[in-house]
Amino acid sequence: MSIFGEIIGTIRRVSPLPLLTFLAVTGALLLFPPLVDSPYALHIMILIFLSVIMGESWNILGGYTGQYSVGHAAYFGAGAYTTMILMQFREVPPWYGMLAGIAVSILTALIIGSICFRLRGPYFVLASIAATEILRLTALNLKDFTNGAEGILATDIPPLQFGSFLVTDFTTKDPFYYIGLVFALAVIAVTWIVQHSKIGYCFQAIREDQDAAHSLGINPSLYKNLSLAISAAFTSLAGSFYAVYIGFIDPTTVLSLDMSVQIVLICIIGGIGTIFGPVVGALVLVPLSEALRSNIITQGLITAGLVNEDSPVGQFLKENLAHAHVLIYGILVVVVILFMPDGVLGFLRKILTGKRRKAA
Amino acid sequence: MSAILELKHVSKFFGGLAANSDISFAMEPGMIKGLIGPNGAGKTTLFNCITGYYPPSRGEIFFKGHPITGLQPDRVCRLGMARTWQKVRPLVKMTVLDNVMVGALCRTNSLAKARNIAMEQLSVVGMEQKTHFIAGGLPIGERKKLEMARVLATKPELLLLDEVMGGLNPAESEEIIRLILEIKARGITQMVIEHDMKAIMRISDRIVVLNSGEKLAEGTPAEIVANQEVVDAYLGESHA
Repeated sequence: MSIFGEIIGTIRRVSPLPLLTFLAVTGALLLFPPLVDSPYALHIMILIFLSVIMGESWNILGGYTGQYSVGHAAYFGAGAYTTMILMQFREVPPWYGMLAGIAVSILTALIIGSICFRLRGPYFVLASIAATEILRLTALNLKDFTNGAEGILATDIPPLQFGSFLVTDFTTKDPFYYIGLVFALAVIAVTWIVQHSKIGYCFQAIREDQDAAHSLGINPSLYKNLSLAISAAFTSLAGSFYAVYIGFIDPTTVLSLDMSVQIVLICIIGGIGTIFGPVVGALVLVPLSEALRSNIITQGLITAGLVNEDSPVGQFLKENLAHAHVLIYGILVVVVILFMPDGVLGFLRKILTGKRRKAA
Repeated sequence: MSAILELKHVSKFFGGLAANSDISFAMEPGMIKGLIGPNGAGKTTLFNCITGYYPPSRGEIFFKGHPITGLQPDRVCRLGMARTWQKVRPLVKMTVLDNVMVGALCRTNSLAKARNIAMEQLSVVGMEQKTHFIAGGLPIGERKKLEMARVLATKPELLLLDEVMGGLNPAESEEIIRLILEIKARGITQMVIEHDMKAIMRISDRIVVLNSGEKLAEGTPAEIVANQEVVDAYLGESHA
């Protein structure tokens, strides 16, 4: 009750300008699908929403509580697999599968947390990787249950229907767009509430100094597990969403170390421990990765007339640059980390405050 | 009056090393107890045992008559016992106000109430002008005061201060002494580890001397200064 009143009070104190900007952006996003009639643009937006959900969830544990889990694929995969297994083998609509996935993920999180949170710093990171590897190998070998390395292909997505009223069907991209948007806004809202409540103070105190927090009446294992449970629940949501949207999952994508690192990168690139850091991270990483994959650099060079399409150089770039997209992506990520240690958002803030200081 | 804190035969072993061995004493409410001894005598280890960071290897600890042996530090804090750290531990990326609010949130779930408590404690230590400074950017003297404000915000009945004057200049030390006496006037019991002998003799009602993990002596400051064993082990001839 008191916490609830507190949150209402804090909402009242929020200055109107950021709130208006937020509402305007949300409004624009709601109007996006009818105005922009391009499945590819919608696809990119959906991937951005997915990355926002993943990044914000990790941010609650990594950014606010300071526990750098490099094993979030565990919860992503738990959500994806639970939804997919129920949908494909039991014909359960993905909405219920998603809720089941959240329950499975929280349970997984509490088991992993109760073991890994005994460790701190780099040892926790290693343990989180190991725990997720165990899950990946389990999914790979429990063939009767998960189809093993073959993965699961969604052949038919049962729509959610109440009586004769159709709530959602999944034949176009539009429902995915709106569901992704709502989920992304929800996880941003939850992050905001966490930051403006006692829980957020306890999380941040543990991040800054666990022993000091402990001496100030904060139970570290309680709050670390709470943080992980919130984080895992939303990561699982992202996993379920991914599974239904892409329509195919296997252990080497949804339960891989790559996936775990990808989740962490969204936050590192955007800015750790800030509400909008993961949003910025998603806005940078998703288009970047798509652009590199579709070989936009070579296209640009050719259209700009810098490289002749038929010359050996042009041929070489056309053939190989698309394959090197992971390499280029990696190099760009390293550059960002080197020159913007607080992420893109922190870098922008520094430039803005620097300019203000010069003006003053 | 009954003791607020009572130690009965407390020992702490690290492997074969006895960091504390068979230490017993009691503290009366409202008093300041000095804890002195050479480096490595086991003063900080004893603090860690009392506040729950280490479970004692042997012996029992009672706080307000209840056994607290083996309780976790957060439980001990909520029972009303708070400690500061020899090496200060500010929550560096948070503001001064947020640091103290973390302490205050030990007693309330409301951020507004915690903010009020925190402002109150910050004015006690004279830092009400610095509420929005980032804690990591403060000089050592203010970090120590911040830490005092933060533990006071947990509303302790017993405060354990681990070398709060270490590394401070004479003027800053004087401020801390004034603060300790002010806290005493508010009825909060304190146990103080300190190497500054002049300060400890001035503020303590009673003093416990540790040496090599054992309790060497206990008494009023005057008795301690006159105790030949203490003089030999720690104080040296000039103080006698």
